[in-house]
Amino acid sequence: MSANAPRPASDPLPRLRQALAQVNAVVLGKPHAVRLAFACLLAGGHLLLEDIPGVGKTTLAHALAQTWGLAFQRVQFTHDLTPGDIIGVGIYEREQGGFRFHPGPLFTELLLADEINRGTPKVQSALLEAMAEEQVSIEGETRALPAVFTVIATQNPLDAAGTFALPDSQLDRFLMRLSLGYPDTQAERALLAGEARRTLLRELPPLLDAQDLLDLRGRARRLTVSSSVLDYLQALLTASRAHAEIRIGLSPRAGLALLAAARAWALLAGRGYVMPEDVQAVFAAVAAHRLQPLRQATRDSLAAALLAEVGVQA
Amino acid sequence: MNAAAQRPDLRSFALLSLTAAAVLVLHAGHLPLWLPPPLLLLLAWRWQGYRRGLRFPAALRYLLVLALPLAVVASYGTLFGRLPGAALAVGLLVLKLTETERLRDARIAVAVAAFVLMSALLFGQSLLMTVLVCATLWPALATLAALQPGSGGTAALLRESALRLALALPVALLAFVLVPRLSTPLWGAPGAGEARTGISARMSPGAIAQLLIDDSPAFRVGFDGAIPPRAQRYFRAVVLWHFDGRSWTPGHAALPLEPLAARRPPLRYTISLEATRQTLLPALDIPLRAAAGTRFTAARTLLAAHPVDQRLRYTLESATGYALDPRLSPAERALALQLPAGADPRTRALAARWRRQTGGAGAAIIAAALRLFHDGGFRYTLVPPPLGHQQVDDFLFDTRAGFCEHYASAFVFLMRAAGLPARVVAGYQGGYANRLAGYVLVRQSDAHAWAEVWLRGRGWVRVDPTAAVRPERISLGATAAAQGAGAPWYLSGWWLGLRDRIDIVNRLWDQAVVGFDALRQRGLLTRFGVDPARWQSLALALALLLGALMAVAMALTLHEPRARVDALARAYAVLERRLARHGYRRSGSEPPAQFLQRVATTLPPQPARRLYELSTGYARLRYACTPSAPALAVRDWIRRAREFRL
Repeated sequence: MSANAPRPASDPLPRLRQALAQVNAVVLGKPHAVRLAFACLLAGGHLLLEDIPGVGKTTLAHALAQTWGLAFQRVQFTHDLTPGDIIGVGIYEREQGGFRFHPGPLFTELLLADEINRGTPKVQSALLEAMAEEQVSIEGETRALPAVFTVIATQNPLDAAGTFALPDSQLDRFLMRLSLGYPDTQAERALLAGEARRTLLRELPPLLDAQDLLDLRGRARRLTVSSSVLDYLQALLTASRAHAEIRIGLSPRAGLALLAAARAWALLAGRGYVMPEDVQAVFAAVAAHRLQPLRQATRDSLAAALLAEVGVQA
Repeated sequence: MNAAAQRPDLRSFALLSLTAAAVLVLHAGHLPLWLPPPLLLLLAWRWQGYRRGLRFPAALRYLLVLALPLAVVASYGTLFGRLPGAALAVGLLVLKLTETERLRDARIAVAVAAFVLMSALLFGQSLLMTVLVCATLWPALATLAALQPGSGGTAALLRESALRLALALPVALLAFVLVPRLSTPLWGAPGAGEARTGISARMSPGAIAQLLIDDSPAFRVGFDGAIPPRAQRYFRAVVLWHFDGRSWTPGHAALPLEPLAARRPPLRYTISLEATRQTLLPALDIPLRAAAGTRFTAARTLLAAHPVDQRLRYTLESATGYALDPRLSPAERALALQLPAGADPRTRALAARWRRQTGGAGAAIIAAALRLFHDGGFRYTLVPPPLGHQQVDDFLFDTRAGFCEHYASAFVFLMRAAGLPARVVAGYQGGYANRLAGYVLVRQSDAHAWAEVWLRGRGWVRVDPTAAVRPERISLGATAAAQGAGAPWYLSGWWLGLRDRIDIVNRLWDQAVVGFDALRQRGLLTRFGVDPARWQSLALALALLLGALMAVAMALTLHEPRARVDALARAYAVLERRLARHGYRRSGSEPPAQFLQRVATTLPPQPARRLYELSTGYARLRYACTPSAPALAVRDWIRRAREFRL
């Protein structure tokens, strides 16, 4: 538990770089996705991993939790999961002469919600409400979630049988949506040749802690964003709203998310200011799942098209 | 709906009404009294109606359009000429506002207002008037701007209009210098009805009293040396020989020029005379020679060849100590002793008694008369009681109240009756010495009349009988003398000092601007190699200079949007174009810094490193500095970008 771990006093930035390297050593061949996952954490957002089973979604979530030194819980969503199963329940205790709340897995720092689309809408919305409010109300009592509470949800987009697809309004709660995809040959070879991921995960030392995460989030929020970067960001938002292939463009909330993610990306690059490059780097992950295509186009292709169409002024 | 057919908004109409009101006020000074108040009322009424969205009743407008020319004709007897024209134009301007319901109308109304405004300069070109006319252009321009669709806030509107007005100044200046000047005023000779006050060649009762309340400048005198004391500053304008019992006139006899012998070194001075519409030219007592373009009368007063209808400058030398006409001819003597037959017996009797008592000694008779004026209970006043048929008798023995005119007239009558040749001199006395600028300003209110008595062996001697009654008349001026004891506020120091300064400014304006006539234009232009006689060279100079002005204005205008794209972006664009020549092209969506790094990866180490540095430098300047990068660092980056070679 992070609360008991000795807290290193040094500057978290070098350790952040170490942490990146450490996660990359476990999740092989996905440095960009790993970096985006880090950026998502630093921007204070929740992460949706969308991919087929077996490409390392769970491994990534585990590695992150382990490396960041965060309390970790995993919930496998099924259609018979109830909200109480994740939030917790009040149990009558004879000695106390009353109900005592037994917190569910939700009360943790990093929650892995596996196969979230297998849960019923009722459970999904209970989780998403907690993500949005950063607190839970049970039986009239408000209980705050930990300050760094973060959800990493996974879902299999191809296996649609018996699932409840997340509606767009709930997709919007996730700062980023990532796909890992198959590893390349080299990475796959290393994976096959190396030790079992499970063993590796168990041995991963925590390099940061929840306090570091809060510090770094604060630092990211203070990064300089020049007017030309804001110009570019706004041009992207405007273009998404006027695009012929897009039914509904990016909302102001999406704009804020984009800015927060770009800041986190710049912080990961060790820079004190945001560049259009940062916006571009996070754009697909932040924007694609929020774009509603009009016809056949996929959300990812739309994001790419937008990036290509909107110019960056010198 | 056509844009030009829209109703102007309230703000535009308010500005338009303000402009029209200002034009009206500037013209009010020379319009007939009956015209401005109803026009102002009409304007106010129209504004009230417009505010409530009402149209002006058409029938009433037609009626007014018909009535205006009739009223002007009734007032002036004609529709033509400066004054009737101005009255008509001002009236039509206000009437134009009553039919202004569309943008089109409003724009025309502004143009009309500008024209009528300009015509105000036909009536006065003083500095104040010119400034007021220019100031009135301000709301006019603001109206035009407000009529534009999408015009900004009123403050911005006024600011822009002021800027436009300021921008027009150099053009106006050019046109002022280069547009050919006419040697006579454009609007020709003035009408008879507007003759200006000034000393005239006839001294009737009350003539000078009118002048004494006129504070406008008559002329200014710049002395080459020190300004002579006030008591010596008698400016003769006309010598009056003939008295018919009521009025003094010059008389008609042709006399030879009276010889003059100077007893003191002469004073040299230049008089700048305001337009008088007369030929009389004042000159300091007494000029040695007539100035160029002027001629002497027999009594050495100056006459211009033509009535003075523009400011006239002439330089003279005068002797303040002199012997004038020591040998009186019989013809002169006859004129100088002329008295209307049978008039004023009591005065004649008094003069005869003096003559008997003194044995005809001139100085003694003069002394007796002055003693009478001084001790005889005489009063100086600008509003004397009316005199009866025997004017001099009534004045000397009954009313004993009057001003210079009465004293001079009675004094000369007494002298002539006592057998001494004498004549009345009218002119100006004193004036206000502007010590700051070294000139004397003589106003119409300094008009004065005095006497000249011929004494054997001395010639004509100046005697000022008014001085005997009220020495202040000579030492302070007519108004002060009439006021009695205690200097009024307008004679106190600060006011006089302020008046000095104002008059200096007016004088400079008159000399530099109003006095810039055809002659001085030729002088100025020839100095710059422009031949003003050939209109082609003037047009060429005007075109060239206007072109240069336009070029400067255009450069300033075009410079502005470039300033918005900052220097860093411009330098980056130059670098980008240079890289493009080598086949490195940036797609629009590629971030500028990333592009440089991408190019750098394909280059040999040396230029690659430099380009990489340019990339990071650019990113730092562009993205790390809010609101803007330090100019020094930007300049350094621009220099390095310029030096970069593949």
